[in-house]
Amino acid sequence: MTGSHAVTVLLEDRFITFNRAVGLLRRRNFPVRSIAVGPTATPGLSRLTIMVQSDEATAGRAVEHLQKVIGVREAVSFPASDGVARELALVKVRGPGHRYAEFLEVIQLYHVTVVDDAPDAVIVQLSGSESFVLSCLRALEPFEILEIARSGAIALRATNHMGSQP
Amino acid sequence: MPHQLTGAHILCRALLEEGVDLLFGYPGGAIMPFYHALPEYPGLRHVLVRHEQAAAHAADGYARASGRAGVCVATSGPGATNLVTGLATAHMDSVPLVAITGQVPRAMMGRDAFQETDIIGITQPITKHSRLVEDAGEIADAVHEAFAVAQEGRPGPVLIDVPKDVQNQQAAWTGAGARRAGTATASAGSPLTQAALLREAAAMIAAAERPLIMAGHGIVLARAYDELRALAERTGIPVVTTLLGISAFPESHPLHLGMPGMHGEVHVNRAIQQADVIIGIGLRFDDRVTGNLAGFARGAKVIHIELDPTEIGKNVPVTIALVGDAGTMLRGLLAEVRPRECESWRAEIAGQVRPRVESFRGGLTPEGILGAIDEATGGRCTVVSDVGQHQMWVAKLFPYQRPNTHITSGGLGTMGFAVPAAMGVAMARPGEPVWAISGDGGFQMNLQEIATMVQERIPVKMAIFNNGYLGMVRQWQQFFHGRRYSATPIWSPDYVRLAEAYGIAGRRVECAGDVEQAVREALGRPGPALVEFMIEQELNVFPMIPPGASLSEPIEAEPAPLVPT
Ligand SMILES: Cc1ncc(C[n+]2csc(CCOP(=O)(O)OP(=O)(O)O)c2C)c(N)n1
Repeated sequence: MTGSHAVTVLLEDRFITFNRAVGLLRRRNFPVRSIAVGPTATPGLSRLTIMVQSDEATAGRAVEHLQKVIGVREAVSFPASDGVARELALVKVRGPGHRYAEFLEVIQLYHVTVVDDAPDAVIVQLSGSESFVLSCLRALEPFEILEIARSGAIALRATNHMGSQP
Repeated sequence: MPHQLTGAHILCRALLEEGVDLLFGYPGGAIMPFYHALPEYPGLRHVLVRHEQAAAHAADGYARASGRAGVCVATSGPGATNLVTGLATAHMDSVPLVAITGQVPRAMMGRDAFQETDIIGITQPITKHSRLVEDAGEIADAVHEAFAVAQEGRPGPVLIDVPKDVQNQQAAWTGAGARRAGTATASAGSPLTQAALLREAAAMIAAAERPLIMAGHGIVLARAYDELRALAERTGIPVVTTLLGISAFPESHPLHLGMPGMHGEVHVNRAIQQADVIIGIGLRFDDRVTGNLAGFARGAKVIHIELDPTEIGKNVPVTIALVGDAGTMLRGLLAEVRPRECESWRAEIAGQVRPRVESFRGGLTPEGILGAIDEATGGRCTVVSDVGQHQMWVAKLFPYQRPNTHITSGGLGTMGFAVPAAMGVAMARPGEPVWAISGDGGFQMNLQEIATMVQERIPVKMAIFNNGYLGMVRQWQQFFHGRRYSATPIWSPDYVRLAEAYGIAGRRVECAGDVEQAVREALGRPGPALVEFMIEQELNVFPMIPPGASLSEPIEAEPAPLVPT
């Protein structure tokens, strides 16, 4: 079944290792939608999350290739629906102006936080699943979006799905 | 007490610790500290090549022949980039290689310094691993890691890039010793599931009516010759060997069928197409082997024995995957497989054997030349072929009896490989005759290495199949491009006088009657020798599966001459 799959990788937090992992995804033409990387609780190790739009076998192949990269300690894949995938977005909007009430409503509905409030533009922060972020962005469109920064999804497999694998 | 040494000395000592005694290389600015230390280590013999590409191919040939990682050394910038084709060749054919390159000093890196190239970046897709050494204290570890990674699991080339100032930097020498690679291990399946899979495979083999073994380079890498033979003999299953599997199974064995694929014999490809079970061992199901995938072995279930899990199901759907070393897996399978015979299936295949198409209109034939080489060496020689038509003849017509006596660039198909690779083979097998067989095109790509052979006394015997064309490309032009011989006629120098200029024996052979004597004469000379064979110009390799066609659609004879309209 084609769908969103998360490939999560624990790897040495060296630029070259990251470069190798990402380079092989490009070379082997994996359908990558987003890549996010950050530190873990273990010093020297990073976690890389790659979201691929593919069938399960393709995601599995990506894992097998990644496991061959020196410096990769662990790689797994799972359907996004078997875990929690979240991303963060920062959105700069022109500002609510006379539509302040409407703007407040959107902010409350989507749990959006205003992180910078300047006279000309407002930066808001939002986070959630990809579809949540997308619908939130749509809701913000009327206020004239000036810039968007999205983190790409990070994901963890949910514990209760671990045992349910055949 | 650890004492202080420069990075260059640590590099030499770490190489010695890995058992290295031979390096192929070429000096230059960024690797000079290493070359300065080298004479203090007489255990490290250095062979000065004439082009860094040859250093990589020679190290590759050494590795293929010895089973141990070959080592090549180059300076930064152009020295390092000249290694690229050799690294790619080794990568495609899973050859263990360690390349050491000099780099500009750390403080100058990233500023387009003189002779700076990002060789780590350039070679990333064609190495198994690479490492920039940023401190002399890491050198020993980097070397040991490189050898471990190059040789463990599916072998491949590893590059270590050492900035010049790191070679000069002092660090403690502790004699760190060997180390293992740190890769994430794919779950190879529990022993329980593996045992079940082996039983399942054995049952599938028992039930098969038209089973076929396809053996590849993995047999050679695992030295699983006896196991392969035992499986074939216990079950009576015929064996085909891929280009890199050739010599893994004795050519004369009654169960041996030949080479499959683009230039495979008709009965070999038919056997694949008609098989109901294919046991693929240590091969990639490369497109030159399978032809059009949609039409490949449509009636066959595939049992794939392969060390690298990323190869499973890559090209061909697999029914049973046995992930592991060919030797281990074959031993496991042998414990389960019951004796059987395949008489009627073998008779069926035998009935499809075609007489070889006689496109040799008299004169010098590839068979004649190769037969003379085999005879004169008493079947004790290793042949290293280049790429092109002669490569196919060397693959198909030489009667290999001993394992790993056929060496060629398969996956990358690198012209210019044979001459330098044969130097490495000859150094790995002293006292054994080694023949480099090239076309007139490929020979001219690396003929400068004759000088290396002379200087280092490497007794490679070189055979040139001179057809005056880039033969394989000309054949494609004849078959598929209306005989437009664009850029394929190729002029050669007078090779006899070239040999003379290098101070080696050289001879031109123009008629069949002189072949044997010329071969014996070359073998009789103590050093390198060259024999040029003037073969027919428009000889073709048959049969041929046209690119994109299935294995069932061979061209078996000369296409009709073009009729102008
Ligand atoms: C480095 C390189 N360049 C180009 C090719 C493409 N190519 C494949 S076979 C061939 C012709 C080889 O001619 P020759 O060496 O004379 O051998 P022959 O086919 O005549 O035996 C060429 C050009 C290649 N394989 N490698």
